Amino acid sequence: MNTLTDNSLMLRVKAGDLDKMGLLFERYNRPLFAFFYHMTHKRDVSEDLVQNVFYRMLKYKHAFTGEGEFRTWMYHLARNILNDSVKQNRSSDHYDVSEMADKLGGGTLADEGFEKREDVDFLHKAMAGLSDDYREVLVLSRFQEMKYDEIAKVLNINEGTVKVRVHRALGELKKKFFTNERR
Amino acid sequence: MKDDKDMSCEHAKDKLEDWLHNDLDKADRLSVDKHLAECVNCQEEFAADKQLWESLAKMKVPEPREEMRVNFYAMLDNFKAAEATNKPFSFQTLIEKLRDIVLPQWTVQVAFSLLLVGLGWVIGNKTSQNNVSSTAYQQQIETLATQVEDMKSNMMLALIENPSATERLRAVSYTSDITHADEKVIDALFTTLNNDPNVNVRLVALEALTQFAKDAAVREGLVKSLALQDSPMVQVALADVMVKLQEKGSVKELRKLLDKEGLNDLVKNKIEQTIKDLS
Repeated sequence: MNTLTDNSLMLRVKAGDLDKMGLLFERYNRPLFAFFYHMTHKRDVSEDLVQNVFYRMLKYKHAFTGEGEFRTWMYHLARNILNDSVKQNRSSDHYDVSEMADKLGGGTLADEGFEKREDVDFLHKAMAGLSDDYREVLVLSRFQEMKYDEIAKVLNINEGTVKVRVHRALGELKKKFFTNERR
Repeated sequence: MKDDKDMSCEHAKDKLEDWLHNDLDKADRLSVDKHLAECVNCQEEFAADKQLWESLAKMKVPEPREEMRVNFYAMLDNFKAAEATNKPFSFQTLIEKLRDIVLPQWTVQVAFSLLLVGLGWVIGNKTSQNNVSSTAYQQQIETLATQVEDMKSNMMLALIENPSATERLRAVSYTSDITHADEKVIDALFTTLNNDPNVNVRLVALEALTQFAKDAAVREGLVKSLALQDSPMVQVALADVMVKLQEKGSVKELRKLLDKEGLNDLVKNKIEQTIKDLS
């Protein structure tokens, strides 16, 4: 079904069939929300940011050429929107560890794969301790399951840089996680 | 040969992320696995990374609330409405506009001459509009004038039966301002001319009727009036009007008048002179 690819849908939106954006929303609102949630750890903020991404895609629909992948374009916009919002609201938009801990307090997140709930807490803390650049590549790589070449396009850097950054981010996370765990 | 087959620790670490992603081709995968089987350090490190990597996947993300979807569709509707009213602004039209701006010299000249023609047209239009407005002004004045005339006619008709001779005189004098007298006015004037007890009023009425002598009916009425008048002054005045109008049809009536008994000698002479002038 060639007519239902992301790109063809977005091209139809561009041509004026704005209702097709609804289909793209249904496909991507959760992954996008997850991206923003991993980056900000705030549900309200993440929901607003998702809305912003779709608004911006409508507003700048003429800029979509269909040469690149829709998903790449969308995350590129998403990342810019996130950066803008962080700049606007520097203190509050950072990964908020105390808020996160509250949310985890009564949860059952530790059930599968983790022996202790503390592990999850430590992992969250470790993620929160990473720089935005490192956290970003890990989120895109691990949670959005993007390949390095796609991440490179989203971030507008070359693939080699992405690979190095993921490697260092993972090293940093490991260091934080295991040192925290031992304390 | 052996070095090529066996992977170094560094080489293996280079493949770590791809290994975690399960993104290695079969040959690389076998090489990494072989190295891990032999190198305890790497084995520990890879195991730790794998644990971490798997743990990351366990980090739960809450579901976005239903409001997000509702808000999205509301935004989409608003956008569609705005787009419908704002009409197509596309990149294409922007480019076309830009191209229009950056056009070669001759188009500027053509545009300038078009501008001059346009300016001429606008000025011409403006002045003709002035003409239009001045004729409109004229029309307004004309309607005002006819309204005044109508009013005077009404005044005349109201006053002409007034018992005071002075008022009746004034009534008749109103007709001097009337250019197009209607039947009512003419009738009133003839009634006055033939029946008014005051000679002066009758004379003024005659003067007034002379104005409308272009009308055949008025001339006929004047001729008939000759037989009805008994005042010498009015008879003479009527005779003068007949000469003035060169009304040859009046000769017959004038002769009748000569046959009338008790006619003033002065009037007789005047009538005879009039008949001579007309025939």
